[in-house]
Amino acid sequence: MMNQEARLDYLNHYLLEENPNDEALHSQKGASSLDEKIALFRGLCNIREPEPVTEQFLEIQDAFLTEWNQERKITSLKDLEEVKPQLYIFQGDITSLAVSGIVNAANSELLGCLLPNHNCIDNIIHTHAGVQLRLECNRIMEAQGRKEPVGKAKITNAYNLPADYVVHTVGPYIDERGVTPLKEELLGSSYRSCLQIADEHGLESIAFCCISTGEFNFPNERAAEIAVQTVQAYLNATKSNLKVVFNVFKDIDFEIYRNILVGKE
Amino acid sequence: MKKRGNFLFIEKQDDVYTISLTPELQDDIGTVGFVEFSTGDTIQAEEPILNLEASKTVLEINTPLTGKVVERNEAAVKEPSLLNSAKPEENWIVKLTDVDEAAFNKLEEA
Repeated sequence: MMNQEARLDYLNHYLLEENPNDEALHSQKGASSLDEKIALFRGLCNIREPEPVTEQFLEIQDAFLTEWNQERKITSLKDLEEVKPQLYIFQGDITSLAVSGIVNAANSELLGCLLPNHNCIDNIIHTHAGVQLRLECNRIMEAQGRKEPVGKAKITNAYNLPADYVVHTVGPYIDERGVTPLKEELLGSSYRSCLQIADEHGLESIAFCCISTGEFNFPNERAAEIAVQTVQAYLNATKSNLKVVFNVFKDIDFEIYRNILVGKE
Repeated sequence: MKKRGNFLFIEKQDDVYTISLTPELQDDIGTVGFVEFSTGDTIQAEEPILNLEASKTVLEINTPLTGKVVERNEAAVKEPSLLNSAKPEENWIVKLTDVDEAAFNKLEEA
């Protein structure tokens, strides 16, 4: 059986060979430590076009990702405190959550982040899921025939992630004009669309990232208010049994969600 | 009579209801570069009437009212930036008939 390093060597060689004439890529192939090889692998996957891939590549990639993903502490619903009926907060990496579905904050291309090693959630989810995720997204987008609108949702397999599904939504982008009523409506629409598609597919639990905050500039506090209000209104109106995790990464978001859901200490 | 819903204007003239973009919506989406009308003669409230790609966003526009589509602004397919116009005769999306007048009356005043 190959060890992780041997797998990475195979995968990086395969991915470099797909672009034999790209000098910028080939200048990086001197990666020697395991971490450097992981970074090279990640970057190569990030820029990879949604082209077919061999069975052998997938087998070795899946073996690598399974072991890499399991090295981290995997968190499931039973490890979390139910802060309000059906509602949970989790601070940490969304790709370490073993829930039915995790929400990806995508862009309208819906193919995953194309910037090598960019630290956005879209990049991290696609990296840990495997190259199959972009291939499935590409099939969905080709069938749709146009870009993905803001405030809607698509669902895919989660491949090598501990979750079963990834729900992809494009949140509103806030420019220098700031938050407008339309942008607030669209952020709520992103949450509703994810919940609806989760229920349509019979998911038991779904973990939301903080949609539109960060790169998309939505103010954290207002975004959290809309997130919680929309989820609670949906659960009340539909009597859905979905269990909903608000997944935060930054301390500021953890504080905000705690204050909204549990109250100030 | 003119009302608003879903960030759109709905103008009633006799039995024809014309749906167009509000200036706020135009500001939020930026220059429109691509539009695709949904097909089908009758549409239910909150169903899509138009998908657009603009400089600031990609958006599905949903009708605030149920009705029968009698005309689409086909000129906007060839020239999507017509939807950025301030002129009502250029920035409209669809014209509906068979609209429930009570539902129209319930919409917010424009």
